[in-house]
Amino acid sequence: MPKKESSSLIEVKNLYKSYFNEMIETPVLFDINLKINAGEFVAIMGPSGSGKSTLMHILGFLDVPTKGHYHFKGESTEEKQEDELALIRSSSVSFVFQSFNLLPRTSVIDNVLLPLLYHSATRPADRRARAMKAIKAVGLTDRATYLSNQLSGGQQQRVAIARSLVTEPEVIFADEPTGNLDSASGKHVMEILQNLHKEGHTIILVTHEKATAEHAERIIQIMDGHIVSDRKEFSRRIASQIKEFK
Amino acid sequence: MQLRDTVTTALRAVRGNGPRSLLTMLGIIIGVGAVVLMTSVGESMQSVILGQISALGPKTIAMWPGKNGPEQGAATLNPDFDSFTLSDVEALRRLQTISNVAPIIFVQGKTTYGTEQTDTRVVGTTPDYFLNQVVDVAEGRLHDGQDELEGRAVAVLGPDTAKDLFFNQSPLGKRIEIGNKKYTVIGVLESVGSQFFQNMDERIVIPFETAHIVAQRSYVDMITAMSTGDTADAVADIQFLLRRRHNIIPPETGSETDNDDFLVRTAEQAQEILGTVSVSLTAFITMIATISLLVGGIGIMNIMLVAVTERTREIGLRKALGARRNDILLQFLIEAVILTVLGGLIGLLLGVSLNAIIVGIARKFLDRYIFALNPIAMVAALIMAAGTGLIFGIYPARKAAELNPIEALRYE
Repeated sequence: MPKKESSSLIEVKNLYKSYFNEMIETPVLFDINLKINAGEFVAIMGPSGSGKSTLMHILGFLDVPTKGHYHFKGESTEEKQEDELALIRSSSVSFVFQSFNLLPRTSVIDNVLLPLLYHSATRPADRRARAMKAIKAVGLTDRATYLSNQLSGGQQQRVAIARSLVTEPEVIFADEPTGNLDSASGKHVMEILQNLHKEGHTIILVTHEKATAEHAERIIQIMDGHIVSDRKEFSRRIASQIKEFK
Repeated sequence: MQLRDTVTTALRAVRGNGPRSLLTMLGIIIGVGAVVLMTSVGESMQSVILGQISALGPKTIAMWPGKNGPEQGAATLNPDFDSFTLSDVEALRRLQTISNVAPIIFVQGKTTYGTEQTDTRVVGTTPDYFLNQVVDVAEGRLHDGQDELEGRAVAVLGPDTAKDLFFNQSPLGKRIEIGNKKYTVIGVLESVGSQFFQNMDERIVIPFETAHIVAQRSYVDMITAMSTGDTADAVADIQFLLRRRHNIIPPETGSETDNDDFLVRTAEQAQEILGTVSVSLTAFITMIATISLLVGGIGIMNIMLVAVTERTREIGLRKALGARRNDILLQFLIEAVILTVLGGLIGLLLGVSLNAIIVGIARKFLDRYIFALNPIAMVAALIMAAGTGLIFGIYPARKAAELNPIEALRYE
């Protein structure tokens, strides 16, 4: 397996993705080239059907590209088998979904420590402590024993964020994390993500909303499977934060 | 994922679906319960019958007038049959291979003592009868050769009969009336319980000569004896002798005993029949177990397929969190096995409890009936239940493991 030295956490070259439905090819992504460094907060923005979710799934090892190269931590991922991809998912990446995807009738702490069951690096004895640490990071310590369905939407999404933190992954993917939330809860969730970014986490946010995307420091816009723009958004983000402080 | 975590996860799913899990297990519960119950009852019956046979002694031989049915076990008995004459008895006594030849005449009529009355069987027989039946007196004495010789009107009572007629007072020396004749009670037998579903503690034994005079007939109802050496040889001798005396020619086709007007049975034969019965009982139970576990297994598969569909998003989530194919496969497989093993354990408990109830009832009729379990059948039923979970769980578990995580996460 060819190894390539790179400073980028994620490096994608000439990546194509097509879906095949009964031999009919539906191309979704065309010639994607992308570098994301550790510690970045990137928003992938585009309307529905643009291919942003597909790109996130490939970057998050839930799907594989049809063609092209994807290097993760400088290592080629093209030849990896299903179980190797599962291993990367368990240790290096994590997801926050639009619909939270918590286990119903299950306590907050059990939801949060779920990824650790598949995380061989964590000893079973350390699980609860790590889960409590992640729950503390999203400010839900007093809700740790509540069942997931006893919480509000915003709280559930914070539990999902705690779940994504617990394995201390390299990248957190957030797929429309505010899509099912009211604006106040959505703002709270975005604040948490921003704080995590400040603490050094790499966050890749997928959204169709410009306002949500603007929380990131870099916005990659996707349209019909092509990257149409890729720009840093320092000034605007800082401007919006300054506005909030006022 | 570690096995312990997989088991915990599967257990949680089973518990989370409480009532449904229980309903799913029902097939297995009934299957295993039925097997445990039936084998236990079989075991109890076997020990009862074996107890009776060993009480009789393996060398005891019984003869009745009557005709063999098509099968050895199913014989037609005719109590009025007069094929056994006193001279037959004398001839049998001269055989070297048997001893203790004890002819029996059943005396008709009610037995009364004061106002108490009973329909108990009255057995007129020689003292050898007690040897063949392996029974002695608890108090008083058995009748002896002198009683026979003089045709004395004496009686030995079974313990239950003694209680029926005399309650707690000693019957010794009391005069009872059988038919229209008075008898002096000289002894009470020790308790031996039931033999072949007859309560042997309910009987009245009088000397053969006395019964012979009362009944006024020259044929006997039954003969018991004991083999001196090989029981099969003794039976062959008896058959040869009686056929010659009764002018019976065995048929050229069919069973040798088809033309006989008498039946010869030994405790050994009974034991053999019991063996055959228990083999067919085992085959029958195995069949029931297989069918019920098959039906139960299909139920498990059905509900596991429903569970996989219901929990598609959970499976997608677990895969996104890093679960491998085998983690998911094992989780659902273990869930199916837990359902069947738990069902098996509940079935086991149910079977044992029902057996205890049956024992309680059976004891009222058959005081030698004992509580027995068949541990081999119980373990086998549990293993079969677990195997059912494995076999019928594999298809739903594979279906779960093969789900595409993205599609699974989007599933509504």
